[in-house]
Amino acid sequence: MSRPDWFVLALTLLGIIAYGLYKGRATRDLEGYFLSNRSVPWYMVLLGIMGTQASAVTFLSAPGQAYTDGMRFVQYYFGLPLAMVVLCISFVPVFHRLKVFTAYEYLEQRFDGKTRTLTSFLFLLQRGLSTGISISAPSIILSSLLGWNIVWTNIFMGGLLIIYTVTGGAKAVAYTQQLQMIIIFSGMTIAAYIVVHRLPAGVGLSEILHIGGKAGKLNVITTGFQGKKFDWNDRYNLLSGTIGGFFLALSYFGTDQSQVGRYLTARSLTESRIGLLLNGLVKVPMQFLILLLGVMVFAFYKYNPEPIFFNKSQITALEHSKYKDSLAVVTAQYNVLEQRRLGGDPVGDGKEVYKATVRRWLDDIGGESNDTNYIFLRFVTDYLPKGLVGLLIAVIFLAAWGSISATLNSLSSCTIIDFHKRFAPGVSADREYRLSRLYTFFWGAFCVAVAQLAYNLGNSLIEAVNVLGSLFYGVILGIFLVAFYRKRVGGSAVFISAVIVEIGVVVLGILIQKKVVGLSFLWLNVIGAAGVVLLSEILNLTVCRPVPSSPPRRG
Amino acid sequence: MDDERVPLFKKWSYWYALVIGFLAVCIALFYLLTKHFS
Repeated sequence: MSRPDWFVLALTLLGIIAYGLYKGRATRDLEGYFLSNRSVPWYMVLLGIMGTQASAVTFLSAPGQAYTDGMRFVQYYFGLPLAMVVLCISFVPVFHRLKVFTAYEYLEQRFDGKTRTLTSFLFLLQRGLSTGISISAPSIILSSLLGWNIVWTNIFMGGLLIIYTVTGGAKAVAYTQQLQMIIIFSGMTIAAYIVVHRLPAGVGLSEILHIGGKAGKLNVITTGFQGKKFDWNDRYNLLSGTIGGFFLALSYFGTDQSQVGRYLTARSLTESRIGLLLNGLVKVPMQFLILLLGVMVFAFYKYNPEPIFFNKSQITALEHSKYKDSLAVVTAQYNVLEQRRLGGDPVGDGKEVYKATVRRWLDDIGGESNDTNYIFLRFVTDYLPKGLVGLLIAVIFLAAWGSISATLNSLSSCTIIDFHKRFAPGVSADREYRLSRLYTFFWGAFCVAVAQLAYNLGNSLIEAVNVLGSLFYGVILGIFLVAFYRKRVGGSAVFISAVIVEIGVVVLGILIQKKVVGLSFLWLNVIGAAGVVLLSEILNLTVCRPVPSSPPRRG
Repeated sequence: MDDERVPLFKKWSYWYALVIGFLAVCIALFYLLTKHFS
């Protein structure tokens, strides 16, 4: 990176930290630290919800996903607006009426202490690990492409935000997310403008769409049917996106404290609802536009030389392997072919053959043969002007920070509210506040440590933890669905059901991972939720019948 | 608390219809886009 890029990057990141410290300075108690004194307006709730959901990988991977696989990934979000409606009808009014700090507090009031503890524990386990991965994934990409030290990249990606999150709590999180989202949208808009600007004269959006369509990249709607048979392995199609995506979004926004904590900060129930409903309105078009950026980059490389492999560090790895000489020959031949293609000669599948060869060599030396996550950032570093590269790198950091800071705040709130206060009561308000800051710091350090561990253990762990959400979300959602809609079911029935179904879902997840069962992970959310609802109903009718409450005594 | 005034519309159900209707319109437009450029 050039000096102007470093300057822009440092200025943006330091500016966000300073802003967070300034905005969160007045916080002195738990209500302020975790719920921003329930004073946040709807537009900040909206930006907070969006900023928490959109991690760095959202902005790095989605354009690359469209570049390689087309735009069908947008279907993954079709269930989200439906989930927002259900949340506004059932979940949010209850959380507001009971004035809870965490979603799991409600479960003790509805069922019992053990169900609350189990659910909160599942959240802490899943979120703590997956947040470590959400630090690690963009750090690996940045360090690979820019040659940065991975330890320092992890610390900057997951550590600097701890400064304002520990100090300012939910208020600092909400205000910085607002600013972060503005910078992120500005950066992505500028990137899109530059893609179009650098295309040859006369090539506009219409041509981009035609190029994308011809190459099969505008496959926005797919049915998932292969002939007359539905492909259950297919991740993104209309059915899995709408049904699987609905259950995933309902569990994520309704039972994950990192999201519940955002809309509980709203100054009223109405402001929470408006924030969530507007998220339901804007999320699908926003994701569509991010994916369209990937199609734009695809069209850009139709008029410009495309790298044989987008991840530079893997090419360097090949240059230091037994394939060194072969790589030099293949790269030279590939470059000649690219020049012929750009000159207007038909080259057929020649390019793909060379690319496949490089991937095969990478597999052989144990390298990473998938470069999807590197496509957009490689375009940014190769073609954006000085200063803007720094801004786009800052966008990646800010996207990570927005998501991680909200998560750290929620992990801390569950630790103190669902565990510390219950199992070690009698703590003074001032000590509670100081402990909350300590727990936030602990979780921040824990997530950075997990990020480093993930890097050391390689891709297998990242892939395993990426599906963690699907392993737990369904069961947690099932518990909440029983709580809201099956009023006769008692605590023991739902607790036993949750434990049994969780074991079943984990076993099924392992079988899917080992390719024994052909099923997309998105369906695990449906299976987990439906399993808990059905089994708890059966147990409630058989072995776990609730004891009828005794009539009130007279006199 | 549930009796708070609904912004823009008379009832929350109109908001819900707007969100679901907008999703349906998006899916329809995406379908046309897919068909047109395939």
